[in-house]
Amino acid sequence: MLRIQNVSKTYPNGTQALKNVSFDVADGEFLVIIGLSGSGKSTLLRCINRLIEPTEGKIIWDDVDITAASPAELRKIRRTIGMVFQQFNLVKRSSVLTNVLSGRLGYANPWTSLLGIWPQEDIAQAMQALERVGIAEKAHSRADALSGGQQQRVGIARALMQNPKLILADEPVASLDPVLSHSILQYLEQLNKEGITVICSLHFLDLVHRYATRVVALKDGVKVFEGSAKEIDRAKFKEIYGEEAQEVRAASL
Amino acid sequence: MSKQMSNVVMSAFVPGLGQFLLGERYRGLGIFLGFLAIVATTLWYGQPLWYLFPFLIWAWNLWDVFGLAAGQKHSVLLPLAFGLAAAYGIGWQVVEIDFSRAKVERAVAILRPMLQPDFIQPRRELNQMWVPVEVPCSSQPPAARREDAGRVATVTPDCGPVGETLLVKVTGLWPKTETNIFWQNPIGNPLMLGEGEIRMLTQMTDEEGALTTVIRVPTTALVAAPDPTLPQFHRVYFEQARPIGGYELSFIGNEVLKGALATVSMALMATGLAVLFAVPLSFLAARNLMSGNPVTYAIYLVVRTLLNILRSIESLIIAIVFVVIVGLGPFAGMLALALHSIAALGKLYSEVIEGIDPGPIEAIRATGANWLQVVRYAVIPQIIPPFTAFTIYRWDINVRSATVIGLVGGGGIGFLLIELIRVNNMRGVSAVFIAIAVIVIVLDYISAKLRERLV
Ligand SMILES: Nc1ncnc2c1ncn2[C@@H]1O[C@H](COP(=O)(O)OP(=O)(O)OP(=O)(O)O)[C@@H](O)[C@H]1O
Ligand SMILES: [Mg+2]
Repeated sequence: MLRIQNVSKTYPNGTQALKNVSFDVADGEFLVIIGLSGSGKSTLLRCINRLIEPTEGKIIWDDVDITAASPAELRKIRRTIGMVFQQFNLVKRSSVLTNVLSGRLGYANPWTSLLGIWPQEDIAQAMQALERVGIAEKAHSRADALSGGQQQRVGIARALMQNPKLILADEPVASLDPVLSHSILQYLEQLNKEGITVICSLHFLDLVHRYATRVVALKDGVKVFEGSAKEIDRAKFKEIYGEEAQEVRAASL
Repeated sequence: MSKQMSNVVMSAFVPGLGQFLLGERYRGLGIFLGFLAIVATTLWYGQPLWYLFPFLIWAWNLWDVFGLAAGQKHSVLLPLAFGLAAAYGIGWQVVEIDFSRAKVERAVAILRPMLQPDFIQPRRELNQMWVPVEVPCSSQPPAARREDAGRVATVTPDCGPVGETLLVKVTGLWPKTETNIFWQNPIGNPLMLGEGEIRMLTQMTDEEGALTTVIRVPTTALVAAPDPTLPQFHRVYFEQARPIGGYELSFIGNEVLKGALATVSMALMATGLAVLFAVPLSFLAARNLMSGNPVTYAIYLVVRTLLNILRSIESLIIAIVFVVIVGLGPFAGMLALALHSIAALGKLYSEVIEGIDPGPIEAIRATGANWLQVVRYAVIPQIIPPFTAFTIYRWDINVRSATVIGLVGGGGIGFLLIELIRVNNMRGVSAVFIAIAVIVIVLDYISAKLRERLV
């Protein structure tokens, strides 16, 4: 159980990205966060593993206060939270295998990992993760030699290496075409069915309807909706996205 | 008088005025200022011929104002061409271009030896023989005769003062071989015995390997003697050489190789030293790392300014300073190159750091990695290849600079070059040119190949 309690974030330049946001995420949920560009989705996701320090509020996970964790405790918490990014955030010049292995850094021996030495079982697990996302044959290619969809699958494999209990996905398909979007989200859905909680921000409402078990909507840093995707009617939609908004569909597959 | 004519008249007195009054202000002003500038420079440097150009512009100006008044605008290409021609003509004069000063004979005198670079020579074996002669005579001079390995050399008389004529005989040398005959004073300096004492005396041996000739005790034989009245032993030398097949490095060739090695290592050392300093400095000069708070930002500004100033000073000039401080030689050149490279590399490195993608850093932090692991897995892979590429590139540049730095006393092949030019050894100069070209081409190729692999 993840509890977001009265979280606010004000950036040093004065931008108030989150305003008193609270909600709970039960284990096993596929929670989708929606909202206009700039509404604070990325900020919220990064507050959960404290890549961004919330200014106020608490985030409690399985009775542990993430916001109060010491640096060492925080690293222990982070290693069980996988993260997937819109821009994939792979180290482009490194091999796919190294990128996947780096998901294991939170568990690895701090010294041998600095020398780039990995235990056999980690390498085996990395190959398994790559097989799972269907690109084992690319293990020794450079990351930037892969297509966008393949890179995002490496990103998922990297998150898998953490044996995560929670995956944070920040617009994981925003840089991909609709067909690829579904294939990537299906991997996440699969992991979710295996018991991993997923919190994912998405832009396209049809994807939200297809994958979300529950939806939280942000507008200018304020939570304006929480509920199932079906509850988002025309009025709610206008409230979240503004009067002029038109629903755009990613694709109807 | 029509309005048209009045404008033409105005422009005739003040070029551009007519155009100006017709509303073409910039055109009028441009014509006026351009005309003034060309008249002024012509007055300053002028040969009568150049007055043609102000006149042409003035004439065009009249034609132009005439056209403007009639409502048609001419292209300004023509006066621009006139102005350019005038500037070029005056420039020609200022640079003192005078092709008649180029003398073909001089060029040939320099270029002909350059066609035979002094790098290797046929392998030869030497046959050397000498005989002692006392100068000036003591009361009981020993016989001027010496035997060695079947060769016998004698001088008659046995001794003599400066300018004395001596009969020299030698037997047992290689037959029918050209033989150099020269004098050697007691401290070992060779003195010429040929025409005017500046040419080598040479003579062929006969079928028996014998040779007889007449020499004079050189006028400079006693120049180095502390007491010219004290009898001392000088030597008359006979030297033969014959090829024994194959080639060997000539003396100059050897020097060229040594110089080339010194130059390449000078550049290598300088680059290595520069990297040691440039890496830490580059982090201080990276805006994205240092703009966090006012203190670090101040450090950033200071470091960046220092690097910029240092970078703007040509390494050749730094080398002159270091030659004064540490003396002539490759060490001075190395220090100069290093200092300049610190600035150049520091700037390039810091730009790499500024251009680093924050995404992977965020992603690695999110896996629970510690600070060192983040640096190792997210930062280093991003900066090492470009750092290395820039370093190799710098080494490449440093090798070129090192050849030039030698010219101001910074050691290496450039120093050899300037010495050879000084003694007018054009065959040696040519060998150096070839060596420099080879070094530069080879390193250029290696560095390009290495960098290709890194990108
Ligand atoms: N590092 C930062 N410094 C200052 N302001 C920031 C920073 N990052 C984000 N913001 C601001 O905070 C607000 C929320 O940004 P955030 O990136 O969380 O929105 P988002 O919902 O993820 O948008 P998008 O859909 O475009 O990714 C925006 O107004 C943004 O300009
Ligand atoms: Mg975002």
